[in-house]
Amino acid sequence: MSDLVAKPSGAAALSGDQALAIAQADAARVYRDLFGYRIQLELEDDGWHVDYDLKDPRHKGGGPHYVIDAYTGAIVAKRYEQ
Amino acid sequence: MQAPTATELLSELAVQQALEQAWMDSLPGDPRRRHEEGGWIYLDTITGALAMRRAPPGAQADLDLSTPPVVPSSVVVATFHTHPNPSAEGWEPGPSAADTQSAWLLGVPCLIRADDGVHSTGPPSRRGGLAGGPGYPP
Repeated sequence: MSDLVAKPSGAAALSGDQALAIAQADAARVYRDLFGYRIQLELEDDGWHVDYDLKDPRHKGGGPHYVIDAYTGAIVAKRYEQ
Repeated sequence: MQAPTATELLSELAVQQALEQAWMDSLPGDPRRRHEEGGWIYLDTITGALAMRRAPPGAQADLDLSTPPVVPSSVVVATFHTHPNPSAEGWEPGPSAADTQSAWLLGVPCLIRADDGVHSTGPPSRRGGLAGGPGYPP
Protein backbone atom coordinates (compact mmCIF):
# COMPACT_ATOMS: atom_id res chain seq x y z
CA MET A 1 0.00 0.00 0.00
CA SER A 2 0.97 3.64 -0.26
CA ASP A 3 2.32 5.37 2.81
CA LEU A 4 0.12 8.04 4.35
CA VAL A 5 1.28 11.21 6.10
CA ALA A 6 -1.60 13.22 7.59
CA LYS A 7 -1.28 16.76 8.91
CA PRO A 8 -4.72 18.00 9.99
CA SER A 9 -4.62 21.67 11.01
CA GLY A 10 -8.24 22.71 11.49
CA ALA A 11 -11.90 21.75 11.63
CA ALA A 12 -13.92 20.89 8.52
CA ALA A 13 -17.21 19.27 7.68
CA LEU A 14 -15.36 16.69 5.62
CA SER A 15 -13.04 14.37 7.51
CA GLY A 16 -9.59 13.50 6.29
CA ASP A 17 -10.73 9.95 5.67
CA GLN A 18 -13.55 11.19 3.47
CA ALA A 19 -11.23 13.52 1.55
CA LEU A 20 -8.78 10.72 1.03
CA ALA A 21 -11.50 8.39 -0.19
CA ILE A 22 -12.60 10.96 -2.78
CA ALA A 23 -9.03 11.44 -3.98
CA GLN A 24 -8.30 7.74 -3.99
CA ALA A 25 -11.37 6.99 -6.11
CA ASP A 26 -10.19 9.39 -8.79
CA ALA A 27 -6.52 8.41 -8.55
CA ALA A 28 -7.29 4.71 -8.87
CA ARG A 29 -9.36 5.41 -11.98
CA VAL A 30 -6.58 7.35 -13.70
CA TYR A 31 -3.40 5.66 -12.45
CA ARG A 32 -3.08 1.93 -13.00
CA ASP A 33 -0.84 1.41 -9.95
CA LEU A 34 -0.52 3.56 -6.83
CA PHE A 35 1.82 1.21 -5.00
CA GLY A 36 4.94 3.37 -5.36
CA TYR A 37 3.44 6.55 -3.90
CA ARG A 38 3.45 8.20 -0.50
CA ILE A 39 0.24 10.10 0.27
CA GLN A 40 0.27 13.42 2.10
CA LEU A 41 -3.01 14.77 3.45
CA GLU A 42 -3.27 18.29 4.82
CA LEU A 43 -6.11 20.70 5.58
CA GLU A 44 -5.38 24.18 4.19
CA ASP A 45 -7.49 27.33 3.93
CA ASP A 46 -8.70 26.31 0.46
CA GLY A 47 -9.55 22.72 1.36
CA TRP A 48 -7.99 19.31 1.80
CA HIS A 49 -4.75 18.87 -0.11
CA VAL A 50 -4.09 15.27 -1.08
CA ASP A 51 -0.73 14.68 -2.74
CA TYR A 52 0.66 11.43 -4.10
CA ASP A 53 4.45 11.58 -4.37
CA LEU A 54 6.89 8.89 -5.46
CA LYS A 55 8.47 7.13 -2.50
CA ASP A 56 11.92 7.00 -4.12
CA PRO A 57 13.24 10.54 -4.76
CA ARG A 58 15.61 9.23 -7.45
CA HIS A 59 12.77 8.01 -9.66
CA LYS A 60 11.35 9.91 -12.62
CA GLY A 61 7.59 10.26 -12.71
CA GLY A 62 4.79 11.73 -10.71
CA GLY A 63 1.45 11.21 -9.08
CA PRO A 64 -1.93 12.90 -8.76
CA HIS A 65 -2.49 16.01 -6.64
CA TYR A 66 -5.85 17.24 -5.38
CA VAL A 67 -7.52 20.10 -3.58
CA ILE A 68 -10.89 18.98 -2.18
CA ASP A 69 -13.51 21.36 -0.79
CA ALA A 70 -13.59 20.77 2.96
CA TYR A 71 -17.37 21.22 3.15
CA THR A 72 -18.83 19.87 -0.10
CA GLY A 73 -16.26 17.22 -0.97
CA ALA A 74 -15.96 18.55 -4.52
CA ILE A 75 -12.60 18.26 -6.21
CA VAL A 76 -11.79 21.92 -6.87
CA ALA A 77 -8.35 21.32 -8.41
CA LYS A 78 -6.43 18.31 -9.61
CA ARG A 79 -3.16 17.72 -11.41
CA TYR A 80 -1.96 14.46 -12.92
CA GLU A 81 1.82 14.40 -12.96
CA GLN A 82 3.83 11.82 -14.87
CA MET B 1 36.29 18.93 -23.19
CA GLN B 2 33.23 20.19 -21.30
CA ALA B 3 30.02 18.51 -20.30
CA PRO B 4 27.32 19.29 -22.90
CA THR B 5 24.31 21.31 -21.87
CA ALA B 6 20.75 20.07 -22.22
CA THR B 7 20.28 22.47 -25.13
CA GLU B 8 23.36 21.14 -26.90
CA LEU B 9 22.26 17.55 -26.37
CA LEU B 10 18.81 18.23 -27.77
CA SER B 11 20.39 19.56 -30.96
CA GLU B 12 22.16 16.22 -31.55
CA LEU B 13 20.46 13.93 -34.06
CA ALA B 14 21.38 10.80 -32.07
CA VAL B 15 19.69 12.22 -28.97
CA GLN B 16 16.60 13.23 -30.95
CA GLN B 17 16.40 9.72 -32.40
CA ALA B 18 16.76 8.13 -28.95
CA LEU B 19 13.92 10.28 -27.64
CA GLU B 20 11.70 9.38 -30.60
CA GLN B 21 12.44 5.67 -30.26
CA ALA B 22 11.63 5.81 -26.55
CA TRP B 23 8.44 7.68 -27.37
CA MET B 24 7.29 5.01 -29.81
CA ASP B 25 8.20 2.25 -27.37
CA SER B 26 6.05 3.99 -24.72
CA LEU B 27 2.91 3.06 -26.66
CA PRO B 28 1.27 6.46 -26.12
CA GLY B 29 -1.70 5.45 -28.25
CA ASP B 30 -2.57 2.46 -26.10
CA PRO B 31 -4.44 3.52 -22.93
CA ARG B 32 -3.95 0.17 -21.22
CA ARG B 33 -0.29 -0.38 -22.01
CA ARG B 34 1.27 3.10 -22.24
CA HIS B 35 4.25 3.41 -19.93
CA GLU B 36 7.40 5.44 -19.42
CA GLU B 37 10.57 4.57 -21.32
CA GLY B 38 13.98 6.16 -21.09
CA GLY B 39 17.64 5.80 -20.36
CA TRP B 40 20.97 7.54 -20.06
CA ILE B 41 23.14 9.66 -22.34
CA TYR B 42 26.89 9.09 -22.02
CA LEU B 43 29.86 11.09 -23.23
CA ASP B 44 33.10 9.26 -23.99
CA THR B 45 35.71 11.40 -22.26
CA ILE B 46 38.42 10.28 -24.71
CA THR B 47 36.66 10.57 -28.07
CA GLY B 48 33.86 12.99 -27.21
CA ALA B 49 31.29 10.64 -28.73
CA LEU B 50 27.78 10.39 -27.34
CA ALA B 51 26.13 7.05 -26.62
CA MET B 52 22.71 6.10 -25.30
CA ARG B 53 21.65 3.18 -23.13
CA ARG B 54 18.05 2.23 -22.39
CA ALA B 55 16.65 1.32 -18.99
CA PRO B 56 14.05 -1.41 -18.43
CA PRO B 57 10.52 -0.19 -19.18
CA GLY B 58 8.85 1.79 -16.42
CA ALA B 59 5.27 2.03 -15.21
CA GLN B 60 2.49 4.34 -16.36
CA ALA B 61 4.01 7.33 -14.54
CA ASP B 62 7.20 6.03 -12.91
CA LEU B 63 10.66 5.13 -14.21
CA ASP B 64 13.79 4.10 -12.32
CA LEU B 65 16.94 5.65 -13.81
CA SER B 66 18.92 5.55 -10.57
CA THR B 67 21.46 2.89 -11.57
CA PRO B 68 23.06 3.55 -14.96
CA PRO B 69 25.22 0.75 -16.40
CA VAL B 70 28.94 1.47 -16.59
CA VAL B 71 30.10 2.37 -20.10
CA PRO B 72 33.89 2.22 -20.56
CA SER B 73 35.67 5.63 -20.59
CA SER B 74 32.29 7.37 -20.42
CA VAL B 75 30.26 9.39 -17.94
CA VAL B 76 26.52 10.06 -17.76
CA VAL B 77 25.75 13.57 -19.01
CA ALA B 78 21.92 13.39 -19.02
CA THR B 79 18.91 11.16 -18.65
CA PHE B 80 15.96 10.97 -21.01
CA HIS B 81 12.46 9.60 -20.62
CA THR B 82 8.93 9.87 -21.92
CA HIS B 83 5.61 11.18 -20.66
CA PRO B 84 3.23 8.98 -22.65
CA ASN B 85 -0.03 9.96 -20.96
CA PRO B 86 -2.04 12.46 -23.02
CA SER B 87 -2.41 16.08 -22.06
CA ALA B 88 -5.87 15.96 -23.67
CA GLU B 89 -6.93 13.74 -20.76
CA GLY B 90 -5.62 16.16 -18.16
CA TRP B 91 -2.07 14.87 -17.75
CA GLU B 92 0.74 17.37 -17.28
CA PRO B 93 3.13 16.97 -20.22
CA GLY B 94 6.04 18.84 -18.64
CA PRO B 95 8.46 17.88 -15.89
CA SER B 96 6.95 16.72 -12.62
CA ALA B 97 8.28 17.85 -9.27
CA ALA B 98 9.91 14.42 -8.98
CA ASP B 99 11.57 14.81 -12.39
CA THR B 100 13.13 18.08 -11.29
CA GLN B 101 14.05 16.85 -7.82
CA SER B 102 15.68 13.65 -9.09
CA ALA B 103 17.59 15.53 -11.80
CA TRP B 104 19.19 17.82 -9.23
CA LEU B 105 19.76 14.86 -6.90
CA LEU B 106 21.44 12.76 -9.59
CA GLY B 107 23.33 15.77 -10.97
CA VAL B 108 22.52 15.66 -14.69
CA PRO B 109 19.91 17.27 -16.96
CA CYS B 110 16.66 15.40 -17.51
CA LEU B 111 15.26 15.38 -21.06
CA ILE B 112 11.59 14.52 -21.57
CA ARG B 113 9.58 13.64 -24.66
CA ALA B 114 5.86 14.33 -24.23
CA ASP B 115 2.92 14.76 -26.57
CA ASP B 116 3.53 18.50 -26.82
CA GLY B 117 7.23 18.23 -27.61
CA VAL B 118 10.47 18.03 -25.67
CA HIS B 119 11.13 19.44 -22.19
CA SER B 120 14.16 19.58 -19.92
CA THR B 121 14.67 20.15 -16.22
CA GLY B 122 17.42 19.94 -13.63
CA PRO B 123 20.94 21.33 -13.87
CA PRO B 124 21.92 22.81 -17.25
CA SER B 125 24.77 20.31 -17.55
CA ARG B 126 26.46 17.52 -15.57
CA ARG B 127 27.36 18.71 -12.07
CA GLY B 128 31.10 19.32 -11.75
CA GLY B 129 31.81 18.77 -15.45
CA LEU B 130 33.22 15.49 -16.73
CA ALA B 131 35.18 14.67 -13.58
CA GLY B 132 34.10 12.12 -11.01
CA GLY B 133 34.32 8.80 -12.79
CA PRO B 134 31.66 6.69 -14.52
CA GLY B 135 27.98 6.94 -13.88
CA TYR B 136 26.43 9.95 -12.22
CA PRO B 137 28.61 12.72 -10.77
CA PRO B 138 29.55 12.46 -7.09
